[in-house]
Amino acid sequence: MIDIEFDTSWKKGFLERVEKDGPWTSWELYQLSLEAATHLSVPDFDGLQAPKHLPHLTPLPHQLEVARQVVEKMNGKAILADEVGLGKTIEAGLILKEYMIRGLVKKVLILVPASLVSQWAMELNEKFFIPAVQQKKSYVWEQCDVVVSSIDTAKKSPHREIIYQQQYDMVIIDEAHKLKNNKTKNYEFVQNLKKKFCLLLTATPIQNRIEEIFNLVSLLKPGHLGNAAYFTEMYEKKRSLQTDEHLKALVNKVMIRNRRADTGIEWSKRHVETVMIEFSNEERELYNAVQALKYYDTKSLGSQFSLITMLREACSSREALFLTLKNMMDKYDGDAPAYFQELLEKMNAVTTNSKAEKALELIQNINDKVIIFTEYRATQLYLQWFLKQQGISSVPFRGGFKRGKKDWMKELFKSRAQVLIATEAGGEGINLQFCHHVINYDLPWNPMRLEQRIGRVHRLGQMNDVHIYNFAVKDTIEEHMLKLLYEKIHLFERVVGELDDILAKMNMNDFEDYLHDIFFHSRSEGEMKIKIENLTAMIDFADQLAKGGEHYAAT
Amino acid sequence: MQQHEIHHFLERYFQANECDIVENDEGYMTVQLSIELDKELMNRPFYWHYIERTGGTPAPMKLTLITKQTEKTSSLDGERLHFGSPRLHQIFQSAQKRGSYIRLYEQITASGQSFVPLHPWLGLNVKISYQCDRKRDQLLSLGVHLISGTIVEQFQERLQQLVLTPKIPDYCFTISPLIKPQSGLGRLEQYIKHRIEQDDHAWAKEAKERWDEDLALLDHFYEDMEEKPECYYIEKEALEEQYKPRIIVSVINGGLFYLQPRS
Repeated sequence: MIDIEFDTSWKKGFLERVEKDGPWTSWELYQLSLEAATHLSVPDFDGLQAPKHLPHLTPLPHQLEVARQVVEKMNGKAILADEVGLGKTIEAGLILKEYMIRGLVKKVLILVPASLVSQWAMELNEKFFIPAVQQKKSYVWEQCDVVVSSIDTAKKSPHREIIYQQQYDMVIIDEAHKLKNNKTKNYEFVQNLKKKFCLLLTATPIQNRIEEIFNLVSLLKPGHLGNAAYFTEMYEKKRSLQTDEHLKALVNKVMIRNRRADTGIEWSKRHVETVMIEFSNEERELYNAVQALKYYDTKSLGSQFSLITMLREACSSREALFLTLKNMMDKYDGDAPAYFQELLEKMNAVTTNSKAEKALELIQNINDKVIIFTEYRATQLYLQWFLKQQGISSVPFRGGFKRGKKDWMKELFKSRAQVLIATEAGGEGINLQFCHHVINYDLPWNPMRLEQRIGRVHRLGQMNDVHIYNFAVKDTIEEHMLKLLYEKIHLFERVVGELDDILAKMNMNDFEDYLHDIFFHSRSEGEMKIKIENLTAMIDFADQLAKGGEHYAAT
Repeated sequence: MQQHEIHHFLERYFQANECDIVENDEGYMTVQLSIELDKELMNRPFYWHYIERTGGTPAPMKLTLITKQTEKTSSLDGERLHFGSPRLHQIFQSAQKRGSYIRLYEQITASGQSFVPLHPWLGLNVKISYQCDRKRDQLLSLGVHLISGTIVEQFQERLQQLVLTPKIPDYCFTISPLIKPQSGLGRLEQYIKHRIEQDDHAWAKEAKERWDEDLALLDHFYEDMEEKPECYYIEKEALEEQYKPRIIVSVINGGLFYLQPRS
């Protein structure tokens, strides 16, 4: 017989009231209480409740299907292994929400890479109304129900001990392929966590070796692929087509992998156009003057970083450059070296912004909504002023805006303005699909950020073709970046997310630093070109690996 | 729950809690919260602590809630509510907390010739949750006649046909219960237990099968080890929590109802 538990808390309160003759509620409140309970009750084991709690979210069919399968067929333990860009986070959020609505999950631990902690917490709060908290103080483990942390923090003392004392109902681990090696501390840490329900998220369930999938599955459901000895014997030593098929079938019981091609989602086309811009004589002189700083006293310049930043700023707007220059001069307390004065004079000589002129021409021709991305706030302000002079309405957008302001700006852009000028991709969750034209006024040096920019408009659900215009000034650092690197690696033609796979393969976390190094330390243009070519080759190689590794992964 | 249902629910909730609805138009309402509801909903304990310590004049907040996107509400500064929004769930919780215990009398217009007896009933609305790695709820409304011990289902529906009042009406008197409320509760518990036993419990059998299956895998995984590592026991415990079928009966609300006898 099944245990029946009677909740006795009501009874106590009732008997007290009988004794004391009250207090009693009103008939209306009594009925409201019952109505609330009725709305909150879940009448069926099957089906998903989460979507009706999330009217602002429109999950894609494959995402809903994943959520349904995990709850109904996989008993809440699964590896979510969709290819990048198909929304694994949405799937995980849906599943978590479903369990929370049903009252099966209350205490949740979410382990993600450090760089994604705040994004996860924000998405769960904003998209799913799940009060997820970033772990910042150690009391958070005990006092908050849904905690997001990096695995590196979690596994360390004293956190580790506190975590082991918590009774988690669900554990979610993002980028779970990092747990492919069962000899690591991370693996051992996760293995000893109590996992009632568990989601492991990875776009690359197998990268190199077949036992990686064994380790991952054994973390989730020990024994599902046999024990270590059995697995080696069966699937590695006696490996054949038949055992491969068998393994695939087994793995598919605990893993769901959607591919872009299978989702049936039509990706609209992406048209990429490079727009080369010619500096005016004055602008060119200014740029050259900045470049010449390299041969001056670089000590006072600070680091290579400053010089490259200034070159990039010079390509964006003199306003952007001015801010940096002013900050540097301030450090001298009015005793700045003469070349600063020279730079300022050159700056004053610049009266037009060739890039802005080009942008204006383009915007007028497009005659539709346009997003301009720039790296610099000074450029953002300048452009807003400049466009206004020309009678074009624009709204600014920054990553630092509060949620409400972001939504408001988005609405303004949608209903009133032709142009949105953004300094950042603006964080997740801002959907600008109603716009189909993006101008990259200047290019970020982190290709992932470039992807995020494009991802704001070119994403699942975009019906129209998307036009991307990449601005670069001829014979500058910008042209090198664009022509030598971004175009070579076909950055702009790639599907959203692909690059993520590739960079993960390369272990290339500090892409930007690497580029700085190339640009600063190359003694000649030839050397720089060679170095960039090497980088391109590496990316190509990782790309091949990424594609080659696929045939291992079960489908 | 549709948006207009939410709107209607909110109206009734605030009125029942004696808050002034300052504005109430299509798709939104502005409510002047009472001190009590401000404390319950607005989460500003420091403010209230300060006011109480300094004896300041309390200024409970106004709350604007938007239930529909209209031209007017799009420019309105307020909270947008929908079925999943935390604010609505907070209000649900508040309603459940505030509507737990009741005592009512049936309103009848007695002629005054003779006194009318009102019989005591114990009414109970319960939620039965069937839980393993999945879950479903069932609501049940029961009433037990505290004289004869008769138990009826759909008791709430019956009550809704009647006019009920918190004060005993004129020319009426209550018959005191032969069955004490506490024993009445006991009888309802027994009734629920019996009713559950009659149910089809295929869901529990299936959960047990899933559980056994995973347990067998787990044992196989560690079969070569003489001494099982700690994670074996942790995992075993996790499986029990995940799959073990349980039935949980919780009371939503209930109370005493004095009703005119009916044939």
